[in-house]
Amino acid sequence: MFAAAVLAGFFGALLGVGGGIFIVPALVLLFQLPVKVAVAASLVSVIATSNAGGSSYVEQHITNLRLGMFLEIATTLGALSGSVLALYLREWVMLFLFAALLLYMGITAYTTRHRDDERIASGAFASGVPDGWSRRLSLSGSYHDQALNRQVEYVVHGSGIGTAISYLAGVASGLLGVGGGVLKVSAMNRYMNVPMKAAVGTSKMMIGVTAAVGSILFYLAGLIHFYVVAPVALGTTAGATIGTMVMNRLRSAVLKRIFAALMFYLAYGMLVKALALRFHVQLPTLGS
Amino acid sequence: MPMPEAPRNVYTVVHRALLWGMVASTALYALGVARALEAPVVVPLDHAFHLSWRQTWSGLAALDPTALMLAATVLLILTPVARVVLACIAFAVDRDRAFVLVTGAVLAVIALTVVLGRLGLH
Repeated sequence: MFAAAVLAGFFGALLGVGGGIFIVPALVLLFQLPVKVAVAASLVSVIATSNAGGSSYVEQHITNLRLGMFLEIATTLGALSGSVLALYLREWVMLFLFAALLLYMGITAYTTRHRDDERIASGAFASGVPDGWSRRLSLSGSYHDQALNRQVEYVVHGSGIGTAISYLAGVASGLLGVGGGVLKVSAMNRYMNVPMKAAVGTSKMMIGVTAAVGSILFYLAGLIHFYVVAPVALGTTAGATIGTMVMNRLRSAVLKRIFAALMFYLAYGMLVKALALRFHVQLPTLGS
Repeated sequence: MPMPEAPRNVYTVVHRALLWGMVASTALYALGVARALEAPVVVPLDHAFHLSWRQTWSGLAALDPTALMLAATVLLILTPVARVVLACIAFAVDRDRAFVLVTGAVLAVIALTVVLGRLGLH
């Protein structure tokens, strides 16, 4: 469990996600834990990886604090809604939703894998026009890209759609035990003109408070098992600490390829389990 | 075009809050796991452990693994909340009213979550 959590924390830090997207399938598929116990443990571990990864990205100024805190309003509201839903939904429905989310994220990451480097090279990130919220709240920012050895500036726009997707990311967080980072990174990178690495750093900070909202409800509902949470939280913290050291040295296209491959693999695993539960259909598993 | 960013003091307080939250909760979890490995027990998954404040304090004093892991979990959950509180204070010191409101709104949602949870939403 600790080893699986280290891997989850490592990839979570590379990709700006909480690791919940890996932890829940691992706990359900490898350790046969009930989905709600896995979701609760995953939410707490998401906070652990957010603290570990987030603190490093904040120190490196990759995180856009203003943008992150602005989007946190929507994402915490979403997490509250999602946690309420999670306490009442059936297990196979949660598995299907999880598989759908994984598939969507995998496809999005793969189809946009070369977009960032091209846009940084052409200066497209810095040449946009900020929208009203972005201008009023000074949401635009910059960071130093170690792989490209240059300062990357970007102008934030699309605050409306970014806020809407952040709300949905919060719902996914509370519902599925993830940080919702997969959606937040996508929202910022694809719709708000934020480069992948700044989106990863900002998402990493945001997912902690998002997961805290869900964790509070699960804690009060008595669904958090400390003996499951402890090794998972320790593993994700260790993995995230290593991952943050590596992330800014990699090219965005590499990050996105890794991300897509893992999403497809995990989506298949969750789908197999959902079909078995709901329709008693047994598909072959891929080593899990 | 110059890119405005959050002031350096906000970055500093957020970084420190996350770092110390991580260090303290990791230490408690590690101690809890080490103590649990000393005397392994079978843990049922059909109900979670609930300890009263009194049991938690006495458990911490006796280095009880469940109390240690509970304290680590609570500390972990409170770390991002503390980070928002500290950022709110730092923005207030900088007289950045807009972001005092933004961080205040996030804290209001967290407070609402606690109230709904305590009212028996679950």
